[in-house]
Amino acid sequence: MPHRLGPMQILPSPMKKFAADECVDYCIVGVGSAGGVLIQRLARAGLRVVGLEAGPFWDTEKDWVSDEKGSHELYWNDLRITGGTHPLALGANNSGKGVGGGSVHWAAFAPRFHPSDFRVYTEDGVGADWPISYWDLKPYYELLEREIPVAGPAWFPWGDPHGHPYGPHPLGGVGDVLVRGCTKLGIRSVAGGPVAILSASHGDRPHCIYRGFCLQGCKVGAKASTLITHVPDAITHGAEIRAHSMASRISLREDGRVDGVVYFDREGKEHFQRARAVIVSGYAIETPRLLLNSACPGHRHGLANSSGTLGKYLMAQAGNVVAGRFEELIRLYKAPPAHALSEEFYETDPRRGFARGFAVQTVGPLPVAFAKQMTAAMGAWGWGMRRVMMDYNHWATLGVLGEILPWEDNRVELADEKDQHGLPVAKVTFNLHDNDKKLIEFGKNKVMEIMWAAGAKQVVQESRFAHLVGAVRMGSDPSMSVVDKFGRTHDIPNLFVCDGSILPTQGSANPGLTIQALAARTADYLIQQGDATFFSNRRDLTEPGIRYDLSPPYTRFKGNPRIA
Amino acid sequence: MTRKSFPSHATGGELRDLEQPGYYGGFSTVSQKKSWEQATRNVVTDRIEKVPPIRFFSQDDAALLGAVIDRVMPQDDRSVERMIPILPVLDERLFKNSISGFRYEDMPSDQEAYQLGLKAIEEMARERFREPFVNLTVHRQELILKSIHDGQPDPANAVWEKMPIHRFWAMLMEDCVTAYYSHPWAWDEIGFGGPAYPRGYMRLENGLPEPWEKDEQRYEWNAPVDSLSQLEEQDAPPEHQSLHGHGGSH
Repeated sequence: MPHRLGPMQILPSPMKKFAADECVDYCIVGVGSAGGVLIQRLARAGLRVVGLEAGPFWDTEKDWVSDEKGSHELYWNDLRITGGTHPLALGANNSGKGVGGGSVHWAAFAPRFHPSDFRVYTEDGVGADWPISYWDLKPYYELLEREIPVAGPAWFPWGDPHGHPYGPHPLGGVGDVLVRGCTKLGIRSVAGGPVAILSASHGDRPHCIYRGFCLQGCKVGAKASTLITHVPDAITHGAEIRAHSMASRISLREDGRVDGVVYFDREGKEHFQRARAVIVSGYAIETPRLLLNSACPGHRHGLANSSGTLGKYLMAQAGNVVAGRFEELIRLYKAPPAHALSEEFYETDPRRGFARGFAVQTVGPLPVAFAKQMTAAMGAWGWGMRRVMMDYNHWATLGVLGEILPWEDNRVELADEKDQHGLPVAKVTFNLHDNDKKLIEFGKNKVMEIMWAAGAKQVVQESRFAHLVGAVRMGSDPSMSVVDKFGRTHDIPNLFVCDGSILPTQGSANPGLTIQALAARTADYLIQQGDATFFSNRRDLTEPGIRYDLSPPYTRFKGNPRIA
Repeated sequence: MTRKSFPSHATGGELRDLEQPGYYGGFSTVSQKKSWEQATRNVVTDRIEKVPPIRFFSQDDAALLGAVIDRVMPQDDRSVERMIPILPVLDERLFKNSISGFRYEDMPSDQEAYQLGLKAIEEMARERFREPFVNLTVHRQELILKSIHDGQPDPANAVWEKMPIHRFWAMLMEDCVTAYYSHPWAWDEIGFGGPAYPRGYMRLENGLPEPWEKDEQRYEWNAPVDSLSQLEEQDAPPEHQSLHGHGGSH
């Protein structure tokens, strides 16, 4: 049987295999949201690239199921320690494992960040500024919106207003609740996107069938993951992706440049992949963990950590779920969980008494997830649990997506515990600060108000967190950040980081699209730098200029509606 | 094996020995399995047909935990052949040491947490009622468990000084609801459509059923009248800090 990626697409075969001792141009650690885009671009440009992925290379027809419990293997289930005053749940909440990474189980909301997100310190005196502006990233937002592609409303009114290449999805019951409640309160809302889910077929990918299992991996192939959007094209163009390959250490030469990655294969056997440059794309926990685990003489506190900020300024977004019970039936399991939102409260409003803001979004927990939420939100157990679940079809759920600021004490460190390879596991510490608490309180109350306005008879809420970014922040000051604006570490000229961990702040937008847009920009930079990356220590910070000829198939002739 | 709690009364008679509780009489997700694809069909069918053996817990611990689960996720209204296996699913998870990708810094491993939690529950039963937990009346079992649910163990026990009681409770609940609500018979009970690939859904709005789903047929449903695990309906608890795995939202 061929390796299937959705019902129409087949993984290109055979895949290039580099010889064991062969030195490649780039070794990329982690083939997820960022790694998938990077490897595809670099391969298209003719570079010799290997991607090491800790998890499996999914065959979506064989490996994925329309089932909550049966989808456990999509997540990073290896041990991590979580603590602090507000410990983050990890695993299924925010960490993928396998080709496609977190993009396999994201809900696929794909809003852009707002222009203000790049200037948080300048505008509000909190958080940090980015070393780039929204306008540097905008062409990449537009390009990725065509590549993955994004379906949504013709008029998205917030931030830099824009339209979407594919039309909006039909409204489900939960989206209807969001629109109804917001409208009653005079709050603008949009529905049917923006989501990286197809509303019409696209090349060898069919459109959405509204079965609601987005978070369990989209067997339909309608929801974008780099597994189906970029990885096939990478393989067609000569990249090699090695699944079940867990990187343990980046190797540093005496001249202060890296020369490859040590990793364990499926059987626990150690290998060394030589490379002229290394890009770490392991996301906000595994990336700092690998750099910390790569400490060596000259880099005693972790690779590229002369600033002492490696692992610090980790962020998660407030993700409170507000559930409302209605007289009428909702059937929240139908339609994509992500399909309507409002960013009316995204920007700082001084009258609210805190900096920055939040978004209001639909969520669609399936029965197991919903029952867990009722444990927390209502204290339901025993007959009470049975009763509330018998009303499952009467509930609608909306989420707060709130911006938590980057704080130095929210961090990733190494724990004393070791994993199956003997590598120290990550210890994650997360504390809420005053601004965060005020923001969450306001956001939670606002979403509850929306739920009541929509006509709910009972409203409850659960405090939780969503997404992970930061911990390897990008910045122009090498004493305050780990990487520069192209993801190159300040300390090591041929070591790069490209994933959500480089984000200096996070806005109240789901980070997936921004991570992919940054990856495409870094790829353009690396390609434009050519061999200089491999031999020169000179740091060129000029913008590379966007390449429109490196996109995967079916991107051409698609357009972003422009709004005057 | 299972101690039944008192019958529950409802319009039209007592809720006992039901093949299918809930408001969706005649709805069967499994009857639709021909329209599911193979991988999903295998996973869901195995859940009904292949109940894993008990390998992690000792016989005594299994009996004790079974009694706890009967109160935490009661199925007294279900007929014996339609009981959803929970203990075997939990036992298998611990036997394989399958975790959710993290451990709270103030918690022991999942395996150890269950051993400690069971020890505490048994000691609490013997101290308060001078009998093993499994021999207690349903009401007395609920008294012990409710005190753990409330975070105010009665009687106090040394285990809860070492292990945060609310985290243990959250993990127990998470394991129980995962086993129960991942079973197709529970989907029938709550009217969840179940797997829907490759067919998909076509009626997205207004809570309308697909042609193969059933509309709700509501009646007055009552939990056993003096059960302590009934919802205190109108007042949601102040703020239960979220403790579970958080999967499945955004």
